[in-house]
Amino acid sequence: MAEYAKPLPEITAESRPFWEGCKRHQFLVQRCRACGARQHYPRGICAACWSDDLEWLPSAGRGTVYAFTVTYRTQARGFRDELPYVLAYVELEEGVQVLTNLVGGEPATLRIGMPVRVTFEDVSADVSIPRFTPA
Amino acid sequence: MKNLRDKYCLVGVGETEYSRGSNRTTRALAVEAVRAAILDAGLTASDVDGMLDYQSGDSTLANHVAPDLGIRLNFYMDVMGGGSSTEALIGLAMGAIEAGMCNTLAIYRSMNGYSEFRIGGTGARAAQPVRGLDLAQVPFGMRSAGQNFAPTFLRHMYEYGTTSEQVAHVKVAHSKHASQNPKALLKDRVTVQDVVGSRWIVKPLHLLDCCLETDNATCLIVTTAERARDCRQRPVSIMGVAGRVSKPRLDFHWAHGPITRVAGYYAKDIVFGQAGIGPEDVDVTGSYDAFTFTTMLQLEEYGFCKKGEGGQYVSSGVIELGGRRPNNTAGGHLCEGYTHGMSMVIENVRQLRGTVDDYCPKAAEGVHTYDYAPGRCRQVKDAEIAMNLGWAMPPLGSALIMRR
Ligand SMILES: [Zn+2]
Repeated sequence: MAEYAKPLPEITAESRPFWEGCKRHQFLVQRCRACGARQHYPRGICAACWSDDLEWLPSAGRGTVYAFTVTYRTQARGFRDELPYVLAYVELEEGVQVLTNLVGGEPATLRIGMPVRVTFEDVSADVSIPRFTPA
Repeated sequence: MKNLRDKYCLVGVGETEYSRGSNRTTRALAVEAVRAAILDAGLTASDVDGMLDYQSGDSTLANHVAPDLGIRLNFYMDVMGGGSSTEALIGLAMGAIEAGMCNTLAIYRSMNGYSEFRIGGTGARAAQPVRGLDLAQVPFGMRSAGQNFAPTFLRHMYEYGTTSEQVAHVKVAHSKHASQNPKALLKDRVTVQDVVGSRWIVKPLHLLDCCLETDNATCLIVTTAERARDCRQRPVSIMGVAGRVSKPRLDFHWAHGPITRVAGYYAKDIVFGQAGIGPEDVDVTGSYDAFTFTTMLQLEEYGFCKKGEGGQYVSSGVIELGGRRPNNTAGGHLCEGYTHGMSMVIENVRQLRGTVDDYCPKAAEGVHTYDYAPGRCRQVKDAEIAMNLGWAMPPLGSALIMRR
C-alpha cells in the first residue's frame, strides 16, 4: 500500500468501536438504550439524557447532502496535493448527520439534497476512512 | 437577568499599526496598544487596576504586559478565544467592577496574525490541535474557518436565493470605508465584479470574500459611568451586552437546528432586552466580517432585515457610508485588518464620540465634512447608538450596544 499522506484520525476510547466498524466497512451510529436517541460523532454518554448505556447501530450508509464546500486552497497535509476536494455534511437515513468528504463526482455536479452512499478508503492496516459518493 | 444599562462606559481606545510583518513581539505590541488606550482616556498607570485579554496560545499574557507598563493589578484574567471575545470581555469587565474586584480595566488583543500564527495554517506556529472532535475533522481535510463556515453560506444561497453578487456588496462597502481610513491595510475601493471575479478559496467563498491576516494589537478601557465623567473623552455608555451566546450545539451545530441560523438568534433578545431598544434605533453597526457573508448573516439574524433577506439588505446601500446604517465604517476585517473583533468596537466608540480618524483636517476636534468621496470623511453624522455583532463561528457570537 502506498504511503497515505493525509492525517489519520486520533482514535480515542469513545471512538474506537466506530473506527473498528469502518475497518469492516460498516458505518456505525451510537444509539442510547435508555432514551433511544441516536448520535454521531461518538461520545462517552448520550447527550440527550446522559445515560452511558450506549449501543452501536449499523447504518445502511445511505443519505442526502445537507450542505458542502469545495476547497481550492489549503495547507492541510495530503489534501493540498488533491485540489479541489469536497467537504460535506450528509444526513443519514438513520437520522444523524455526519461530516465527510464527497468523492467520485465532479464538484460542479454536486447539489444539496442529492442522494449519496458511503464508501470506505483503506488507508492503512488499521484505518479505513468513510467518505460518501453519489448514489 | 440584572440590567446594568448605562452604568459602565468605554473611556479609552487604542491600537498599533496594522501591518503584515510587525517584526515585534506580541508583548511589545500589547504594551503599545494598552498605553495608547490609557492615554486616550486621559488616565495613568495607577488608574488602571484590572486587565483582560484573549488569545489562542499565540500571544502574551497580562502578567507580562502589566509590569511592562508599571501597572499593579487587583484583577486580571487571560481568556482563550478569538472572534466574539471583545464584547464578552466587556461584559466580564463590568462584572468584575460590579463584584468589587477592581475599578478600571484594560482589555487587549495582541497578535502577529500574519507573520507568526496563521489561523488554519500549518507549521511550528500553526493553530494548536484540538483533542477529540477536531481530530475527527482533520482526516477529512477540515482545517480552516472558511471551510467551517462556507457550508452555512451555501445553504443560505440554496434556501433563500442569496447570490455571491449580493454578498460581494459587503466587501464593496467596507472597501469604500477603508478608503477613508489612514490605518487601513487595503485602501483601494473594489467593485462587485472584482469580488466575484477573484479566485476561489473555499467555494462559495472567493479570495475577496475573505478577511486579511494582520499583525496588530488593540485595546479598550472600561470603567464606571461615575469615573468616566473625569476622563478626557466624551464617555460612551454600554447599554447592553451578550457574551459568547451559542446555538444548541457548538460542535456539529448544523445537526441541531437550521445551519443558516447563527448565534444572534439567541443573543438578540438578551442584548436588545438590556438596552431597551430595537434594531431600528441603531445608527451604526459593526457586524464581524471574517467573510463577507458573516456580516450579512448576523445583520439579518439580529433583525436589521427579515430572515433570508440579508442579501438584499447588504446590497441595498444601507450598510455604506451615506446609507441609513453603515457597517464597519473603518473597513473591517476585510479591508482595515484582522483583529479578532476589537477594531470594530474601537471604531464604533470613535463614531459615537464624533472623532473618527479619517482624512478630515480637524477630525480630532470632531469637525467633519461628511463628504464620502474617496480619501475624505468617514464620520457618520450624529451617530447616537452603535451596535457590534461579534462572530466566532456560525453557532457562537456576542453583541454590544453603546450610546453616546
Ligand atoms: Zn439517552
